[in-house]
Amino acid sequence: MVAASIYLRPIRLRLFASLREQAGWEQQDWAWPDQPQPPTPEQIWRSLGLTGSLDELRIAVNFEFAGPQQPLQPGDELAFLTPISGG
Amino acid sequence: MGPGISVQVQLSPGPFDPYALLASWSAGQAAAAECHFVGRVRPFTAANQQLDALELEHYPGMAERQLHQLATGQAQHHGVKAVLVHHRVGVIAPGAAIVLVAVAADRRGPAQRCCQGLLEALKHDAPFWKREWSAGVGTWVKGNTPLGEGH
Repeated sequence: MVAASIYLRPIRLRLFASLREQAGWEQQDWAWPDQPQPPTPEQIWRSLGLTGSLDELRIAVNFEFAGPQQPLQPGDELAFLTPISGG
Repeated sequence: MGPGISVQVQLSPGPFDPYALLASWSAGQAAAAECHFVGRVRPFTAANQQLDALELEHYPGMAERQLHQLATGQAQHHGVKAVLVHHRVGVIAPGAAIVLVAVAADRRGPAQRCCQGLLEALKHDAPFWKREWSAGVGTWVKGNTPLGEGH
């Protein structure tokens, strides 16, 4: 029997600016996990093994700001954002 | 968006003339009051070194969306008629325009408050990141200077 999770689209991860350079990648797909609850940004951040606290970052899901515990859906785009410095 | 509010947002990968944009935008306004802000790249870094260039990275898709949401929200909150936001991205020379915010309203109060409110909102809630280039070294800028700085 094939696990149902392989049919679910992965989550697209995006990094920018200093966080991208620190990680050495700007985007990657995170396979949908075989678990009863949908994954959260916090779970994914912990799995990446990057230095720094999630408390110091902002999170965006599908181009909107989101919280660390927001349940994710297959195919979501998740970005971890360092402090903004525009304008 | 509220009834009758015009919101124009654009990201510019190349240099722009804020006054040419303003002339075109203002010609279409029938409002009695306008407030404009033009932000330019300073010639020195946060560490007080000579700046060669400012690099402005953005999150494509989210930056435009956030700017539009922020402009619409501020326009509705302050009851103004029209908002224009033009924001540079990419590598920018010292002295060049980085952002233009223009607001048209019936009175100066709403126009000025909306212009300031929108500028502060976009500095904190639109996904842009600055990197200062000086003597061949790039340094990411951490956050924004407070509004009161320079007083």
